[in-house]
Amino acid sequence: MPLLEVKDLSVRYGKALAVEQVSVTVDKGELVGVLGPNGAGKTTLLKAISRAIGSTGTLKFKGQTLERLPPYDVVARGICHCPEGRRLFPELSVLKNLQLGAYLRSNKAEIGEDLERVFSLFPVLKERQQQQSSTLSGGEQQMVAIGRAMMGRPELLLLDEPSVGIAPRLKGLIFDAIEKIRKDGTAILIVEQDATATLRIADRVYVLEHGRTVREGRAKDLAGDEYIRQVYLGV
Amino acid sequence: MLEILIYGAVSSAIYAMLAVGFTLIFGVARILNLAHGAFYALGAYAAYVFTSLLHWPLFIAAPLAVLSVALFGVLMERFLVRPLRYSQLAVLMITLSVSLAVEQGLFITFGSEYRNVPSFVAEKVSIGGVDIGGQRLLALIAGVLVLLLLWLFIQRTRLGAAILAVSQDPEAAQYMGIPTNRIFSVVMAISAGTAALAGVLVSPFLTVQPTMGLLPMVKAFAIVIVGGLGSIPGSILAALLLGYSETIVAYLISSSWTELVSLVAVVITLMIKPSGLLGRRAAF
Repeated sequence: MPLLEVKDLSVRYGKALAVEQVSVTVDKGELVGVLGPNGAGKTTLLKAISRAIGSTGTLKFKGQTLERLPPYDVVARGICHCPEGRRLFPELSVLKNLQLGAYLRSNKAEIGEDLERVFSLFPVLKERQQQQSSTLSGGEQQMVAIGRAMMGRPELLLLDEPSVGIAPRLKGLIFDAIEKIRKDGTAILIVEQDATATLRIADRVYVLEHGRTVREGRAKDLAGDEYIRQVYLGV
Repeated sequence: MLEILIYGAVSSAIYAMLAVGFTLIFGVARILNLAHGAFYALGAYAAYVFTSLLHWPLFIAAPLAVLSVALFGVLMERFLVRPLRYSQLAVLMITLSVSLAVEQGLFITFGSEYRNVPSFVAEKVSIGGVDIGGQRLLALIAGVLVLLLLWLFIQRTRLGAAILAVSQDPEAAQYMGIPTNRIFSVVMAISAGTAALAGVLVSPFLTVQPTMGLLPMVKAFAIVIVGGLGSIPGSILAALLLGYSETIVAYLISSSWTELVSLVAVVITLMIKPSGLLGRRAAF
């Protein structure tokens, strides 16, 4: 049984069909990528899994349905979402942002351990913990966003375009951290436009275009796919 | 001079209690609540019913009045405002309707005559030779305490942090597992409760009658425009400015001119700094 099972998922914005009959699975400890151009429905797919928007089709996590659950219940089940554009609470400190990631948890000792884990992933955040989050650079804000999602101690982490708008030097740091998080046992579903990096770190990849799945398979296999090479890798 | 200082502080504390709740529910839930004055009137009438009609002791009647109005606010948000939150205009209309309905309800139930609520503190207190009614002093102390407790609650508690998170980004707050609708209910309870407390505290020295919510509503609106819509520190600052300006005008000119102060302040603010003293974006 997969950890996450999305089957024939469709999402409408008014009359427009943003995601059409998409099926995705993520196994325990797996890192799955979703590639696609702007407007392909990648962000919508993640929002539907988090139940931030309504959808039709099957959504199961650890065999239990997520349909009709409010978003906070999805977090309580073990799915944490690091949204597109980072969406930090701009007037709050780095530390407050990270602590809010653990909103549903009460064990202070465990929360403290996870905070140290985030600081070991992103040491710069320990130095900046009292700083207002809006004053950080784009890359540092992304670190807070990922760290904040990790503070929920998720079994499945949803990452929406973590490399967009950050300096190339920091991009490497972000992808290294994502690999570390996976190695520690957290399953990850990552939506990205950087195909090279995604195909390098992912186990399996789905390619969405115009709201539909046009390719899916093992990352190694797709890296050799002629269509992917031409359209997404530019070779 | 000392008289102006003391009476200005009393007015400011009452205005701050009113305006903080009004700006809080806007800042967190983007609800421009025109029924806020109705909460104030309901607080005063609840105090009247519990003390003068039911003869309950004040220490039971006052908290019960505040809690009843807080519950009324929560029910209004849940069943009337929430289904219409997609449209600010619809929210304005529904809260205005609630305000009018409350006013008419009070007219029908209690008539148009003034009602009396017994003072919590009957004695006068002398401060530096200035005599001040104990009830007014109580309103000042309670106002300061409420603002302090509210600040501590928002800055130091987990629920307060969730309120700040929802006010800054409700969608991101959902991804943290924060139940945003429940936060809106909590904030509406605080907003209605503080307005009701202001109504309870002033009811012994101001007139309790069905239209008593209108003027405080205008004042609360003026304060949040001057202070910056959604900014709590801005509201407190504007409440101080307005409270003292009105007191000074009352002493130097006449008390019949005081109502003009808030309107002049609104016009000047909108002309010079539409975002208000501490607001980040233009309120209108």
